[in-house]
Amino acid sequence: MELRPSFQIPALIKSLTDVVLPAVDPANKLAQEQGQLVVAMLHLMAQRLPLQYHYDCHELKQFLGLADSLAAHGAALPELGESLAALATDVEAGRAVLSRAGVAPAELEATNLALRTSVGAAISASAMAADGPDTKAINAAVMAHAQEMLLRERAWLAMQGWEGPNAGLPAVETLIGD
Amino acid sequence: MAVVDKNRPSPEWIEHLRKRYPCEQEIDRVLTRKLERRAGPPYAPVTLDLLQAGTEALLRTQLSEPFTISDTRWLSGGASKLQMAFVLHWNQPGVGRSSTPLVLRMEPSEAITETSRLREFQIIKAMEGKVPVPPTYWIDAYGEYLPYPAIVYGFAEGVTKPSKSSSSVSGVGTFIPPEIRETLGQQFVDHLAITHTFDWQQADIGAYDRPAAGTEALEWALNHWERVWEEDSHEDVPLMRLTMAWLRRNMPPVDHVSVIHGDYRLGNFLYTEHDLRISAWLDWELGYLGDRHEDLSWSAKRQFGHLAEDGKTFLVAGCLPIEEYLARYERASGLKVDPQRMQYYDLFNNYKAIAIVLATGYRAPLNGKTHQDVLVAWLSGISYPLLEELRTQMAEVL
Repeated sequence: MELRPSFQIPALIKSLTDVVLPAVDPANKLAQEQGQLVVAMLHLMAQRLPLQYHYDCHELKQFLGLADSLAAHGAALPELGESLAALATDVEAGRAVLSRAGVAPAELEATNLALRTSVGAAISASAMAADGPDTKAINAAVMAHAQEMLLRERAWLAMQGWEGPNAGLPAVETLIGD
Repeated sequence: MAVVDKNRPSPEWIEHLRKRYPCEQEIDRVLTRKLERRAGPPYAPVTLDLLQAGTEALLRTQLSEPFTISDTRWLSGGASKLQMAFVLHWNQPGVGRSSTPLVLRMEPSEAITETSRLREFQIIKAMEGKVPVPPTYWIDAYGEYLPYPAIVYGFAEGVTKPSKSSSSVSGVGTFIPPEIRETLGQQFVDHLAITHTFDWQQADIGAYDRPAAGTEALEWALNHWERVWEEDSHEDVPLMRLTMAWLRRNMPPVDHVSVIHGDYRLGNFLYTEHDLRISAWLDWELGYLGDRHEDLSWSAKRQFGHLAEDGKTFLVAGCLPIEEYLARYERASGLKVDPQRMQYYDLFNNYKAIAIVLATGYRAPLNGKTHQDVLVAWLSGISYPLLEELRTQMAEVL
């Protein structure tokens, strides 16, 4: 899926900076100010988006540390009794989530990209082989994979409206769960 | 597997692609230039004043008498080139002092379709008087006077869609009302027939390589589009690999080499609403010498037409049912429509369209190379319905 924020946001910034903002009425101070802020906010998003996942993991880890300190030092304080009980529940949930947090999205994306390239090269190489049951099976596997992948990609971009309102695409959320 | 940095292509990789995908010389030149410039700066906005100065510099090499330019303004439309309208006040040969509305059509740093202005200029000149084309005046083929290569056109009159119709970007989704379908549809057929039967052997089209009979033209075209895919794509797509392998193994020989428009469709002609006359065929930049079935198949794509009022019958260009369209074409051209080659070019056209919108439509805005990156990025989303169409087509032939 090529249309991801790392690709989309710079195009939005360039459009606003090069084309839209220069055409905004200089006398409309509200529009001028908000236009500049939209660009600045998009720059901030573009800069921080690759780090967002690491940031959230780090934040969770740090809060778990603070919660441990509160539990250790507050155990003897009766005023904290009820709060520490609730805190313990959320600490347990937090540790479970942190233990499941995997690789960073950028690494996942890069691995997908590399695998796509290798798969593509293997498919091109298979086209050099004489027709037979194995090449037929490879073709069938590629076609089956394409069907599933394209349903997901089309559902992801359904809002663009290329296929009209009656395309019958499922919600993408139903296609990406395991 | 060695990783190629497509945003900073090495000379070795460029040379590798040129050898691996031999195509027409002029196409090789523009694709090579694109790669050689890619690591350079992104497209920087140009002002109307800069374009006016560049146009004046170009015209000084063409006109011996004094002239002035006025009323410069931007035009929108299309996903590929920049367009500036202006009025030229000059001593027009055979007419005298005139004020002529003109259009400058200039490439950005990289376009969603990387093509040759020289080829575009030559084919339009060749087709003048045969089918309606906008008058072409002058060319800056190599960007000597303007920031990038450009053509100066006459300002053709007309609209690409009914004034009251709506459509999405690039003319996709235009609705043609019933009362104008017959008149526009017949011209749509007739102009295609004229284009495909045009005697190009005598034409001054030196920027076009002349293919031998057989599959040479198609091999060049396959090499052209696979090269574009290799140069520009980011994510590899298994279905595209499978499709190209099938296309190469099933190349049909051409029985009659024709001028191919390359983007013959609703949205790429102007017509005047008061008399429903097609006044100009636009966007010849993808033209080449090849098999007529490419244009026939392309013009009949679902994206460039719509259903009739019965909700079932697909109308080519919003005008004619496909069977009627092809029957009229055969009568007008004297050339047969081969269903097998139509099927082949349905696949070819989708491969080409996906190479344009998914590969170049990703790479050019990624590097900030166009004047409308946001539009090009938006358009890349149409790749996935096209890939789905390609998948169903492949399922029929495998």
